Amino acid sequence: MKKFVIQVVVIALLAYMLEMFLPWWSVAIAAALGGLFLRSDANFWAGFCGVGTLWFSAAVVIDITSAGDLADKVASIMHINESLLIIFTCLTGALVGGMASYTGSLVTRKKVAKSG
Amino acid sequence: MKFFLSLFGTLAFILLLDRSWTVGDTRIPPLGKFLDPLNGFWQNAEPRNHIGPEDLRVNGLKQRVIVQYDSLLIPHIFATDEEDLYMAQGFVTAQHRLWQMEFQTLAAAGRLSSILGPGPDNVFIEYDRRQRRLGVPFAAQNAAEMMVQDPVQKAMLERYTDGINRYISSLRYKDLPLEYKLMDYEPEPWTVLKCGLLLKSMAQTLNMGDKDIEMTNALKLYGKEMVDLLYPDPDCDIDPIVNNPGGWNFNPVNLAETVNSLPEGLVGTDPMPKSNPDLGSNNWAVSGSRTATGAPILCNDPHLDTSLPSIWFAVHLNGPDVNVMGASIPGSPGVIIGFNDSIAWGVTNAQRDLVDWYKITYQDARREHYLLDGEWKSTEKKVEEIVVRGGRTVYDTVIYTHWGPVPYDRNFRGDDDLTDYAFRWIAHDPSKEATTFYKLNRAKNFNDYMEALDHYASPAQNFAFASVSGDIAIRIQGKFPVRRKDEGKFVLDGSQTANGWNAFIPLEQNIMEKNPVRGFVSSANQYPVDSTYPYYITATNYEAYRNRRINNVLRRLNGITVTDMMRLQNDNYNLHAAEALPFLLGQLAVDTAALRDEGPEGIALINAYRKLAAWDYFNDKDAEGASYFQAWWSDFYLRLWDEMLDQPFPMALPTEFNTIKLLKENRIAAFYDIRSTETRESLRDLVHTSFATSVARIEKWKEDRGSDRVRWADYKDTYVRHLARIEPLGYHVQHGGHGNAVNASDRIHGPSWRMIVSLEKTGIKAYGVYPGGQSGNPGSFHYSDMLEAWSNGRYYRLAFPKRPEEMQPYLFYETDLNPREKEN
Repeated sequence: MKKFVIQVVVIALLAYMLEMFLPWWSVAIAAALGGLFLRSDANFWAGFCGVGTLWFSAAVVIDITSAGDLADKVASIMHINESLLIIFTCLTGALVGGMASYTGSLVTRKKVAKSG
Repeated sequence: MKFFLSLFGTLAFILLLDRSWTVGDTRIPPLGKFLDPLNGFWQNAEPRNHIGPEDLRVNGLKQRVIVQYDSLLIPHIFATDEEDLYMAQGFVTAQHRLWQMEFQTLAAAGRLSSILGPGPDNVFIEYDRRQRRLGVPFAAQNAAEMMVQDPVQKAMLERYTDGINRYISSLRYKDLPLEYKLMDYEPEPWTVLKCGLLLKSMAQTLNMGDKDIEMTNALKLYGKEMVDLLYPDPDCDIDPIVNNPGGWNFNPVNLAETVNSLPEGLVGTDPMPKSNPDLGSNNWAVSGSRTATGAPILCNDPHLDTSLPSIWFAVHLNGPDVNVMGASIPGSPGVIIGFNDSIAWGVTNAQRDLVDWYKITYQDARREHYLLDGEWKSTEKKVEEIVVRGGRTVYDTVIYTHWGPVPYDRNFRGDDDLTDYAFRWIAHDPSKEATTFYKLNRAKNFNDYMEALDHYASPAQNFAFASVSGDIAIRIQGKFPVRRKDEGKFVLDGSQTANGWNAFIPLEQNIMEKNPVRGFVSSANQYPVDSTYPYYITATNYEAYRNRRINNVLRRLNGITVTDMMRLQNDNYNLHAAEALPFLLGQLAVDTAALRDEGPEGIALINAYRKLAAWDYFNDKDAEGASYFQAWWSDFYLRLWDEMLDQPFPMALPTEFNTIKLLKENRIAAFYDIRSTETRESLRDLVHTSFATSVARIEKWKEDRGSDRVRWADYKDTYVRHLARIEPLGYHVQHGGHGNAVNASDRIHGPSWRMIVSLEKTGIKAYGVYPGGQSGNPGSFHYSDMLEAWSNGRYYRLAFPKRPEEMQPYLFYETDLNPREKEN
């Protein structure tokens, strides 16, 4: 469990840092690295929670601190409501993160198998 | 194996979310990219007090430029070098309005399909073709070539362009305006040509009004006598802009008479959408002799589409020999409507026919030669390439002649060769308006103002002027062809150059007035001059109500204050209703007892009648009478002229003003009959039927909304919409007014910038407001922060310091633009 928590936190932090310089898909690199080097029992969920939490909290913080009702406007453009837009945002990042960390964890296994 | 499957799945998923998809006609943004809170659209959401960076490096600046923002986010730009000033203006404007400026130029250039795709039923391709065929990009090219011939203009435009491009090249996906992220494209470099496109787009909005085809059809259908009755010239000349009978002491240019050579048959071409005749503006300047402070006051409110991001961007430019503030057009350097330390100026559209259509006679179907002065001249074929996003590029061949392009032909909105008319438009001519604004921004007195206007050609405007030294003036400036009687009203024969615009009114003979005895000058798109002015003047339409109301109020007021002027700009008195409603009510017999027996419908009629009879003709927010009148008049007007609307070819309806005049004089009885009915209707029948129909319509309106009242603000439903028509990015506003009232606010257009300047010797006092905000970002508080004040008739005092140190009391934040340090 501890291992999983560390994996989640590292993925979230790494994703946050990479996104300062690279486009959105850099979260997949962060998650894949997390899956590769910090293998846990639930690698998919580690990336899922890591990126998901990052995107969820970032979206919520922006939504609370902003003044122009932008999330509401964008939600209307997409014919959904604001909460759903936040969930949708979070899920998009989470799924990419989950798939990437799972993929990363598979690399590790293969290499471990070969060297062993 | 499992690894590769997983890797493939992940990559495929990422790619799927990294690109946009079109479903039907809707473009879905790249979801991963777009929703990412750290780089996507969320980054466009700004806190209430979001402030920009303190320092920025802008490559190409010579000196440091100080940009100070006040609480409305109006930039006060202080530069020590003139070229730096315009570079900073370009940079700062792009920081707040980049998407809008580019989108407007793409629309003007006929390149919308390159970002929006073909659209439903190819609507964007058709739009682009129209722009090309009207020669709007051709006009912009001509203007841009002319503008760079003058070294001062060239420097101003090129530095402004540089400033925009410095900003564009600093952008990452994260920083892009929301609309780029939504529609999934990126800004391209700015060019001087784009400045020209914006100018010509303005000319298209304001100076492309024409009804030549419609008038030609009316002439064929009704004959000259009836045409003169229905569409008189001038339609309404009560209270012209300049009333100076006998004061036009010059020798006018005379042209030899030519015979109007009209084409055979009726013209079936479906005309393209043209300048909206309801767009207009007010301006006036009051002399110090009439004001409380003894200083002149200048007022201006141009009426345009109320759209977001706002049409205007308020800016203060301070540099060597210039300290000017006012409304600028994003994408165009300098201030367009504003004031400096010595003078103030404002514009309204000069209604004037500046469009003509010439019938082209081709030698044969190849259309390579056409007849001109007895010879077969070669046509020029221009192939327009229209790039379509997600579709095949469209090529459209446009024929150019001596007169200009031929917009309607067998390939575009025409079903036979009758439609081969060449389009002559004043804005096709090279001109250098940028010089006018450069000089106006620096003008110190009346003479400077006159000299600045000498460079101005199109779109023709009524320039009001006032100076701290006490002068007021108005000048109608544009490049105006000398017209023979009735020339330009109908389509013309294009086989003779003699039918063209062979002379222009000399500058010094244009209509103008300085310090008139009445103590004020004013214009509101009405007929420009008294009948002794020696040139023939015609236009699609002239305003007949706002002008009279403004002048009546100004004549009455004494000791005029800024507050009086605010009240007048927001005046909702509907003079049209005051002249039409008593007449309509007089034709209406309401038998209360009988109606009451008819049940709810009868009671609704009684109720409507009472509200109308009690109405004071003010289109205020709560006025129900205003709604009933509007519904009734629209129905009555269309029913009266049903003979014209039923024609299979385009016709123009007589103006509201002339309609009422003719009704009162009882001269159009032939039109009372409704053609779709068996019986022969009288005026009373028309009035009764339209009354009952309109009341039923309002009852339906109330029922749909579950309301027992029909307040004017609700019925009119003022809508400030987004430029790309993205519904959630627009606002519905509670606002009074009417196109025929001084507060000329219709549903989707109205006063786009209200400005009042008191030119006091102790310092200029200026007030302004517009329906929107300084930021073009829908995620900013300043996207729409002035909307509420605008809709309630309130103003902001505009801070106008001479030095950066004086900005302290108004300062919101400061950004310094620094030149890149020299490498050692």
